[in-house]
Amino acid sequence: MTLTDLIVQQTINGLSLGAMYALLALGFTLVYGILELINFSHFNVFMVGSFIAFWVLQMFGLTGQDVILTGLPLAMVLLVAFAVTMVGSGAIGVLIERLCLRPLRDVKGPAAMITTIGVSYILFNVILLSMGAEALNYPNPLPPKRFHIGDAILDVRVILIWAVALVLMVALWLFVQKSRIGKAMRATAQDPEAARMMGVDVDKVVMMAFFLGSALAGAGGLIFGLYYNFTSFLIGFTAGLRAFTAAVLGGIGNVPGAMLGGVIIGLIEALGGQIAGAWTDVIIFSILVLVLVFKPSGLLGRMAPTKS
Amino acid sequence: MSNALTVLTRPVAWIPEARRRQLGLAIVIALAVSFPLWHDNDADIDSMANAAAYAVLALGLNIVVGFAGLLDLGYAAFFAIGAYTYGILSSFQLQPPWTDFWVTFQWLGLVTKMAADTGSGSVVHFTLSFWLALPLSAAFAAFWGVLFGAPTLRLRGDYLAIVTLGFGEIVPIVVRNWSDLTNGAAGLNGVAAPHLFGWSFGVNSTPYYYVAICLVALLIFVSIRLRDSRIGRAWMAIREDEIAAGCMGVNLTRFKLLAFAIGAAFGGMTGVFYVAKLQTATPEMFGFPVSVMILVMIVFGGIGSVWGVVLGAFILQLLQSWWLEDLTGWINSFGTLVGSKWLQHVDLVPSIELIFGFILVGMMLYRRQGLIPAVRKQAALSFEQQHAVVQRGGFADLKLQGLGGDVRTGAAALEVKGVTVRFGGLTALNTVDITVPNASVVAVIGPNGSGKSTLFNAITGLVPAEAGSIRFHGEEVLGLPPHEILGKGVARTFQNLRLFPNLTVMENALVGQHARLTTGVFRAIFRPPGTRAEEHAARIWAMEIFAIFGNRLAPRVTQMVSGLSYANRRRIEIARALASRPRILLLDEPTAGMNPAETLELAEQIKSLNALGLTVLLIEHKLDVVTTLADTVYVLDHGEVIARGRPDEVRRDEEVLRAYLGRNAQAAAAGVTSAA
Repeated sequence: MTLTDLIVQQTINGLSLGAMYALLALGFTLVYGILELINFSHFNVFMVGSFIAFWVLQMFGLTGQDVILTGLPLAMVLLVAFAVTMVGSGAIGVLIERLCLRPLRDVKGPAAMITTIGVSYILFNVILLSMGAEALNYPNPLPPKRFHIGDAILDVRVILIWAVALVLMVALWLFVQKSRIGKAMRATAQDPEAARMMGVDVDKVVMMAFFLGSALAGAGGLIFGLYYNFTSFLIGFTAGLRAFTAAVLGGIGNVPGAMLGGVIIGLIEALGGQIAGAWTDVIIFSILVLVLVFKPSGLLGRMAPTKS
Repeated sequence: MSNALTVLTRPVAWIPEARRRQLGLAIVIALAVSFPLWHDNDADIDSMANAAAYAVLALGLNIVVGFAGLLDLGYAAFFAIGAYTYGILSSFQLQPPWTDFWVTFQWLGLVTKMAADTGSGSVVHFTLSFWLALPLSAAFAAFWGVLFGAPTLRLRGDYLAIVTLGFGEIVPIVVRNWSDLTNGAAGLNGVAAPHLFGWSFGVNSTPYYYVAICLVALLIFVSIRLRDSRIGRAWMAIREDEIAAGCMGVNLTRFKLLAFAIGAAFGGMTGVFYVAKLQTATPEMFGFPVSVMILVMIVFGGIGSVWGVVLGAFILQLLQSWWLEDLTGWINSFGTLVGSKWLQHVDLVPSIELIFGFILVGMMLYRRQGLIPAVRKQAALSFEQQHAVVQRGGFADLKLQGLGGDVRTGAAALEVKGVTVRFGGLTALNTVDITVPNASVVAVIGPNGSGKSTLFNAITGLVPAEAGSIRFHGEEVLGLPPHEILGKGVARTFQNLRLFPNLTVMENALVGQHARLTTGVFRAIFRPPGTRAEEHAARIWAMEIFAIFGNRLAPRVTQMVSGLSYANRRRIEIARALASRPRILLLDEPTAGMNPAETLELAEQIKSLNALGLTVLLIEHKLDVVTTLADTVYVLDHGEVIARGRPDEVRRDEEVLRAYLGRNAQAAAAGVTSAA
């Protein structure tokens, strides 16, 4: 494999990871943009999403990578899997907000953040105790067809991942920009108090942010399974931290920023992994620290309320 | 729980409170010291030793999170740094070839010479003593705390949490991958056990237990001493309101770093103990779950509460390593008894983290103050105090040694020249010139949004000015951080009140004196006579300041500020500013929200302060107050000075009328004598 091929290959890998991180980063950004809260439960909503999809795919009789589907059946299975996963994880997100975070909305200090850590721990351990510690072989009905670009390989499933992620992100973008509640979300992010006075139902907006963010995280969890062919109770932590880095890098609260940040972090992980190996995470965390210290508004600008 | 505590203490209520505390302490100490004697079970003693180690960690994290309010999610990193420092320097991990360089260290007993495994030549064997390693690792961990904290502590609180989380992840990664130094994932082996007078602790739990409870006792003492000192007050001020803390003279960076360093030192020290006890160290011992576990302990026990976090650490650690196992055993036996297969095989130990999760969420939702709340009980006002006739304090006879004393020489105390402040496209202040002569009262008036508060913020270093100069008694203060500006004698209040709500009235006034007191960490811990005297004098000074306000504040000094009336909170803010012995007092709408009688009273108090020779710069909307007090009035509009002069001159100024009342109302206003 030549150097060019290697770079092409790692760029392909990086874009796939980046698509996943971007989906996850959007959840951080939506919630942070409105509540100024780092939602640690998001890490494991992603993980649970990957398990929900696992169960759905199993219900279709899929195990491992043995059963390959094509054409309409494949489309149907994927559609159902994504829909159920997204609604399921979205519901978990809404539940977390309603039960654990709404009572703390007006409490100053780190109480809400500590609560999300607790929720994250609960999700993590519920899956660990019920599904076991071993990584599960992920049902993957995608045909193992692949294209060659030089020596680099472009998998069909990678193309599918890109397509799904892109559709979801564009849909979210349109929703936030065009829909009534999307406008309410942006207004709340600017100034919750003013938005409330103008008749925006802030509770509904917050719930929507949690639903959308968690649904996208669930989709990210499914994509993780399809990409790596496994899932485990452990996957939330590292992916979550990287996605958060992506959100900060792009400018927290900023929807296109989260997408851009996700892609950059994905590329760094893939290309950096080639060079730095086990030290990749050190590089990514260093980026996080450097961005926060020197350019806390991120690449595309921070869009979050500033509570004094 | 506090009710439960009251019920528990009822039978001993006849003992005076101070005595009761001593008695309780004596019982706890007696139980702790005698525990291995009456409970001769090595596994349980081992659990207790571990619990004590975690109590030390919790005490360390409590300084960072509880006192200073900095959420640190990577605290285990410092635990790891301390552990590996001792582990590497007291095991066979590093074996550099023997040279003469090492002879000195050999003489000091830090290394020995031994034959190399390869058979030829000699290598170094590190043999750092456990007792030496405790302070050494603490210092090393503190060094890392500062190094890592310096760039990140400027971040907003929630960002700090995520950065510390990242740092907490990086350290185990480094440990895992830097195999030459740390033996990687396999872990360090053969770490030396502590020796005392030639006797090795070995693997017997009892000596470790005693070392651990000594550490706990030491660190409880240090925590309490720090909490009740100038240092602790500065931390809590930062926790309550960073901006106000800075304006009251607290060097934010230094005190945050200090909290980080001391917390890290506690963690490093525990690391030494932990590794010496286990005689091994692996990266897994210091991961994110450990950081979260320590956080759960302090949340459970009570964030900021010294005894609370110790209790929390003991309960949770014993739950994990002792009680859950016992409970599982009982349930399994019960299952055998009733013939339930599921009960026979259920194991509760792996669910500990699930329990931690529920504790975090449950405590935050239902009992945020934890088992033992940090906020002390407040003495309620007596009936007489509540219904006392309000005394308005001394005015004409006001004598405060060390306040004011400036003479009206006509020289400028504060000189603002050409100051411009922009927020993005908005020019909040445009080449503003204001001169405040010595010992005078100058008022700044103007419509809302005219830049009055921005002017105060520029003077006190809260917003950067693009151009101009601000001189205080001839010294340039523009560009200095808020705490240094306070140090020069510029104290302020805030339009929307920025008190420290969960501190008492007295503590608020003591924070005001921060810059005038000198107690550092060591003096706070050891409390030499000089420090006691300083603290005593600070309290007396605060009481003298409170006396300005008659009997409004003096009976309430031990009350939390958050529970007081609005007018009293305004007074406390002024008292807090005065406590710093300022040479100029900046008051931002001091009478806002006060009724006419209270307004008049405060105006008189300001006047008498000025009569002492204290220079005052005042923002005020009530024009009668301005007329009574001010020697000179400046009028700001759209960030520019549109008029200046004596109050009666300014009142007739056409531009001022236009700014306040609009063009059309100008004619009508000609007949108005009192614009207020």
